[in-house]
Parts: sequence; structure tokens; C-alpha cells
Amino acid sequence: VSVAFKSAVDEGVVDELRAIVGDDDRVLPNLSSRMSRTRVPAPFPVHRWSEFMPDVAVLPRTAQEVSEVVKLANRLRIPVVPRAGGTGLADGAVPLRGGILVDVKLMNAIHEIDLVDRAVTVGPGINMLKLNEELKRHGVFYPDDPASYPCSLVGGRIGTGGWSLLGGRFGHTRDNVISMQVVLPTGEIVEIGEGGGRKLRRSSTAFNLKQLFTGHQGTLGICTEATLELAPRPEVEFAAFFAFDDYLKAYETTGALTRSGLATLAGVVLFDEWKVAYLRRDDEAYIPQPPWVRAVVAVALYGTRAEVEPASKRVMELGRSRGGKYLGDEISSGDWASRHDRYATPLHGRSREGQAVIMSWHCEDAALNYSVLPQVREEWHAIVDRYAERYGIFDDWGMFAYTSGPGKPWADYLVEIDVGIWEQRLDDENWAGWVACKREISEVTLRHGGSITACHGATREGDAELVPTEMGSAWEVVKRIKRALDPNNVMNPGKQSLDEAYE
Amino acid sequence: VAGDDQRDQFVEQWRDNAYGCFSSGHKFCREVCPVMAVTRNENHTPTAFHASIVAMEKGLVGVEDVADDFVHCTQCGACELRCPNTLFTGDFYRHRTRTVDVVKAMRALMVQSGNERSGWKLWNERLMADHNEPVLGDVRVSQEHVADWAQGLDIPVGGETLLFVDCEAAFARTAYTRAFAQLLQAAGVEFGLMREQWCCGGPAAEMGYVDLARAHAEHNLADWRAVGARRIIAPDPHDYIAFTEDYPRYFGEDYDVEIVLGVELVNDLVREGRIALRQPVQRTVTYHDPCRLNKRKGVHAAPRELLRAVPGITFHDVDHVTQWSSCSGGGGGLPIEKPEITREISRRRVAKAQQLDVDTLVSACPWSERPLSEAGAAARPPLEVMDLFELVAESAGIEVGGSRP
Repeated sequence: VSVAFKSAVDEGVVDELRAIVGDDDRVLPNLSSRMSRTRVPAPFPVHRWSEFMPDVAVLPRTAQEVSEVVKLANRLRIPVVPRAGGTGLADGAVPLRGGILVDVKLMNAIHEIDLVDRAVTVGPGINMLKLNEELKRHGVFYPDDPASYPCSLVGGRIGTGGWSLLGGRFGHTRDNVISMQVVLPTGEIVEIGEGGGRKLRRSSTAFNLKQLFTGHQGTLGICTEATLELAPRPEVEFAAFFAFDDYLKAYETTGALTRSGLATLAGVVLFDEWKVAYLRRDDEAYIPQPPWVRAVVAVALYGTRAEVEPASKRVMELGRSRGGKYLGDEISSGDWASRHDRYATPLHGRSREGQAVIMSWHCEDAALNYSVLPQVREEWHAIVDRYAERYGIFDDWGMFAYTSGPGKPWADYLVEIDVGIWEQRLDDENWAGWVACKREISEVTLRHGGSITACHGATREGDAELVPTEMGSAWEVVKRIKRALDPNNVMNPGKQSLDEAYE
Repeated sequence: VAGDDQRDQFVEQWRDNAYGCFSSGHKFCREVCPVMAVTRNENHTPTAFHASIVAMEKGLVGVEDVADDFVHCTQCGACELRCPNTLFTGDFYRHRTRTVDVVKAMRALMVQSGNERSGWKLWNERLMADHNEPVLGDVRVSQEHVADWAQGLDIPVGGETLLFVDCEAAFARTAYTRAFAQLLQAAGVEFGLMREQWCCGGPAAEMGYVDLARAHAEHNLADWRAVGARRIIAPDPHDYIAFTEDYPRYFGEDYDVEIVLGVELVNDLVREGRIALRQPVQRTVTYHDPCRLNKRKGVHAAPRELLRAVPGITFHDVDHVTQWSSCSGGGGGLPIEKPEITREISRRRVAKAQQLDVDTLVSACPWSERPLSEAGAAARPPLEVMDLFELVAESAGIEVGGSRP
């Protein structure tokens, strides 16, 4: 079996790409086009920038064009990397072996809004905020609401298996995509759903392929169209923030809230004391909390007034039941409203000596059960502290734990530790230190029965090599699927240890 | 090599600021950018602009590699407002995102390093020769005709308060200028014209022609001082930007001239009852927030208040934050180099307005009104584009006269 490795896309390939799209402005072999499609917001080995450049970027407008591009790549064994918003927190959209980068941002049309069967069909290049601006006048919305809501695109959400801040109530990306059109690594265009038509949510025919084509990190194909859920626009939104003098009280309050049985509960977020300290670093990003505040719990309810009003009273009781102090309407509604903007600013970085330095945000995510949160938290902070001490370019920005299970918020959490990295100081040694730090964090997760990623993807060094371990006996199945669909390993190669499928 | 020194200086000046964006990488700016909405090309994002400075520092790219990317900007300022660095912590750390300044600086470097764009080069050669921008195409503009717009209005030259009217407003959309001047006259405001009216120089600076821009600024300030002017009325938002941002940087503490923004002045006069709006205007309108008022200067209340003061009008407003992503595409020299992008931005702006079932799109910036009017005329059904001053003048019973491009 041949394996596509770092390629040299020559003039002949560029000419073939131009012939496929028929528009020279949409085939971009120039340096700046490659340079600007290299990284994502995750920390980047900036000292090795050129190693991650694609050889050429293509901006298709149709699935047919994507299909022809992929067929060409498959024929010539050239890596293909799909890229939508390029806002992922792992390296799904980062080319590891050059090749052809398929940038789907131009495929951002709304094809159909069906208010009867409640589905909207879009291109993968559309952004959720922009989509919802259009949907607003119809009284519906697409409820995928990540921190990157103003900038991430539907195609990337599907490729990475995105997670939504409102997921506890409305589900995450994988729950809100009804069906999709995918270009396979061999170039065929296929309609992927549950079975039946494009707008059918549940079926028991054959296999459930939809989940397979969600969250594969661009390694199984390129989404070229998606049919998405339309939910009624919630009549009201209610948010409450509670402060605690002790993490365990906040943790227990979080548990109580998630077991409340309130159907309008969209999410509960637990901030630990490192996170509160980080948010205290200036006087405007987070209204300063008194020194006794060592943890915060945020709760949000969405639904009709008839549901949310009584539920909000219950939330206030539970929020205060273990020593929580309500932080007031201004912080509650204001901070919840700014949930996309506020929680990771590079300007808050601090050197070990306390000097303000601009740092890049790494958000290391994991999926963990409720029972292990306190223990994992301690182990993770200890790891980051050790590496920060040794390398001097890391900074602990604290932890969040978010309820994760849609409609079942009681057991599963997306947990993240945010680490600032002084990228301007990166060299091979510091980068290796960072990767080792990440790996230790992930190993803790696995030891506690967690998954090394809840939504960002296990595509980066430090995570990728642990994928076979996490998958265990199922790893063989994963490899067989990958090889069956992508016989030449052209689709986003080098990610998630999937090269092992070709050994 | 001289170009290399200038590049090094540029990188030295902007590297930390660029790194503030690079290290954030959130890209909230992308979906609010009017140019990106059309091209969807990641090269044209503010993120890419800043990244290219970091890449330049690393020796990965040169000016010639990124020059075309930096043409794709109207300097509307939406990206700066939407940036989380600016929104929350920029002021605290004195580290606001400054994309407009970054684009201007890179364009200056393009001129200095032999990477000029042909359209801008020609445009600014004509500015250098004629001292107003070539807004009439092949018909040359000249000092002889710079005040033709004021024919019959009996406006003196000189005085303590001057009305600044250049380029598009002086030669092309003179209806706008005549409406404004007559509103002031109706209110009894005393003002004069410059002895020798040159372009404000702002657009030249936006296209990277810094020396030319500076020469025009110096000329204008000297002309103001020669007649003892203390106060300059700027109806055109682009002039207002030049006088309140560029000129203070050029002249420092010596710059002691009061700058009055036209729309705020007229709104004050109406509110104080010095201009009576008695003629009902039977139109259903929406308002286009000009970028240099709304996004660059935070001026969005006065034009709305003024519009609401017009009797008979039905006003379907779209709030000014939603309009961060609106633009006509007319700014920053974009229509000179990339007219097809300007056309598409204006087409979309008009289409948005038409969703509101209005018969008129009201703007308050002459540079926006040319592409918007063209898009309005091409739309099916067509949509009329009017200037706010022209509308207010109609309500004040003024026969405006003049031309619209």
C-alpha cells in the first residue's frame, strides 16, 4: 500500500486544478495564500512555520469541483487538507505534509429554509452567527453555539465534531446535523444521513454513517453540504452566576444543578480558582471579585417563559444551597452574553516573574465523568506548574468544566485547562517541552477513564500518539475503516496516528 | 537597500501589535469584514494581515508577496471593533488592535519599496497635479472649478469658520454639498470657503502615499491660518477622519483648529429649532451607517435623530452594531483597484435594505453614495439612494440643485 507523504505539487498539478475550477483566482499557489492557511488559533511552532504550509490552496464553489480535486489528489497520491474557518483548537485544518488545501469558505450559501420540516440546508463555508441572522426573521435558529460562534464555520464544526455551549439543552453539532453531502477520499460524492431522505432524523436502515462522518478531523472526507436542525427561537434566556469560597462547594453545587431535572437547563459551567485569578488580571475583562471568591458556577436556561420562570427560581435555590453567593444580574446576564468573547485573551499572559507578555492560548480539552473532576484538576495543575517552572514560557490560565450530555447533563463534562504559551520564545526545545506537557495531561485523563478530547480533536502531537491507546480494542476497526475509505492515505494524512492503518 | 531599511523599520514598529492578533487567532473579524463577505479568501482577513507581519519578521514573506492582499480593505474599522483584544482588554494593556493603521502602514511600505498598484499610482499622480482627486474620470478637476458647486449661494471666502469641501463633494455629488451649505445658511451660521481648496489628503494616506498626503495637509492648514480660521466644518466623514486622526499626528500641539462634524452640527441646529423641518417627506427609508461615522468614530445617534426629525417619514432602522458588517465598499481606495468588489459590496447592502420594504436608502457619506446609487439603480426593483442632508434640505423647503454622479 502506498502512502502519500509530503508532496511537491508541480506546475502540471496547478494547471489541472485551474482546469477543474476554471478560474485562476480560486487556485492559489502563491506564498501568501499558503502562509495564511497554515495555522489555527492553537499554539503553533512558529519557528517551523514553513513546514506546515500547503503547496497550493483551492477555493471550490461546488461539490463537483471538490470531487474532481480529490480525485486528482488520489490519483497522484497528493495529500488533501480540508479547511473551513481554521478556528479549531487542535490541528485539524493544519497541513502536516503539504499538498492541496481545499478551502470551503466560498461555499457559504443557504440553499433552502424549510419551516415545515424544520431544516435548513447550507454550504459548509457558512458561519453560524451569519446563518442565524438570516434565520431570525423566521423565528427559528440553528442552536450550535461554541465559543467560536462568531467565526467558526459549519464544515469545520462537522469535521471536528464540535461542542456547543448550549449543548445541554439543544445538543452539539453531531446532534444538530440531520444529513450531509460528503466527498470521499477517492472523490465520490455521497449523501450521508441516518437513512431515508435528507431531512429525516432517525432511521434504523443499514449503519449509522452520519456519526462516522462527524468528528473525523477531515480524515474521511470533505463535507460539501449540510442539512441542519431548526429549533424554535427561545422566548427567554436566563443566566445566573454564583461565587464560592471553596472549589468543592462549587463542584457539589454543579452536581446538584445537573441532577435537578430541569429540562430547560442549557449548561452549567464550573470555573476554578486559577480561572478566576486569570479573569481578575485586569479591571475590565471581568468585574473584580473579592478575594474570598475561589470558584464560580454559571448556569443558563433557555426556553419558553412558562418553563424558564419557575425553573429560574429552582436554580436560585440550588445555586445558593451550598454556600453560593449570587453575583447579581449585571454579571450574570452580561458575562453570559459575552461568553464567546471574554475567556481567553492573549494580553493576559504573564511570565513566571509576573511580567505581562502576549501569549497564545492553548485549550487542552478532555471528556471526563463528574466523579473524577476534583482529582484530575489537581493533577493537571501540578503538571502545568512543573512545566511552567522549568521552561518559563507557560502560564496556567485555569480550568473550566462544562456539562456536556444533551438532555442528560449529570455525568459527562467537557473539561479544559487553558495554558498560555509565549510563542515568540518557541524553539525546538521549548516546543518539545510543550508536547510533553500535553502528553502528561492526556495520560492523566486516560488513567481516570476519560477521553483525551471532548471536541477539539486528537490531531496534535502529544495527543495523536495516544489515540491507539484510548481506542484500545476498537483501534483495529478504526484502522480498517480508514484504509477502506482512503486506500492511499491522501485525506488529511498524519493525523490521529492513522498512518498505522497503512503499516 | 533603502526598501530593506524601511521594511525593517516597519516590522520593528508593528511586530508586537501584530503578535497580539497572531497569538489570539480567534478570527472574529472575518465574518464582520465586508470585503471577506465577498471574496471569502483567507488572505484578505485582518488575521492574515497581522500574520504576514509576523511572517515578514521571520523572513518568510516579502512586501511583494502580500501587496495584493493589503489592497483588499476599505478601512471601515469593523475588524477592530469585533476583536476580543479590543473589546475587553485592549485599553487596559494599551494594546488595541489597529488594523486600519496596519493596512495604511503596509501600503506606505508598498509605495516605498516599489510595490505600487497601478490604479492608485495613477490616481495619486492626478492628485499631485490637480490637488483634488480625479473623481470625474477623464475630465480633469481644477482649482478654477473647485467652488463651482457654490454658484448662486453667495458664500464668502475666508473667515473664522470654514466649510471644507473637496473632491467627490466638490465636483461630483454637489447636491450633497449644496444641501448642507444651504441648511447652514437657513440656520444663520456664518462660514466661508478656503482661498485655495485642496484635497484633505486622507485618501492618499489610505493608499500609502504619505508624502503627498502630508503636503496636502500642510497646504490646507496654511490656508486656514492665512485667513485666521479657528473652526473647520467637515460634512464629509472621510475629511473628518483626516482632520481628527491624520492631522493631529502630523502637526502635534500646533494643531489648534476646532473640527465640527457636519451631521452633528445640522442635528444640533434642527434640535435647537434653528432649522425648521416643515415639508413632510413621504418616504419609507432605512439608514446606512457610513463606516467612518459609525465604526471609526462611534457616530450613529445624531444621524438617526436627524432622520427621525423629518416629518412624514417612515424609518425602518437597523441598529448600528448589526451594521458593523455593512459597508458600501467605497472607502480605502478599493473602488479604484478592485471595482468589482466594491460593486458587489454595494449590491449586497442594497439587497439588505430591500428586505425591509423601503423605497429609499439614506446614507450620510458622499463616497458611499456613488457605489450605493449605482447598485440601487441596477437593483430590480430599483432602490433610490439619498443623502441625509439632501433629504433634510427637502424637508426644510430648500431647492437643492447641483449634481449627483
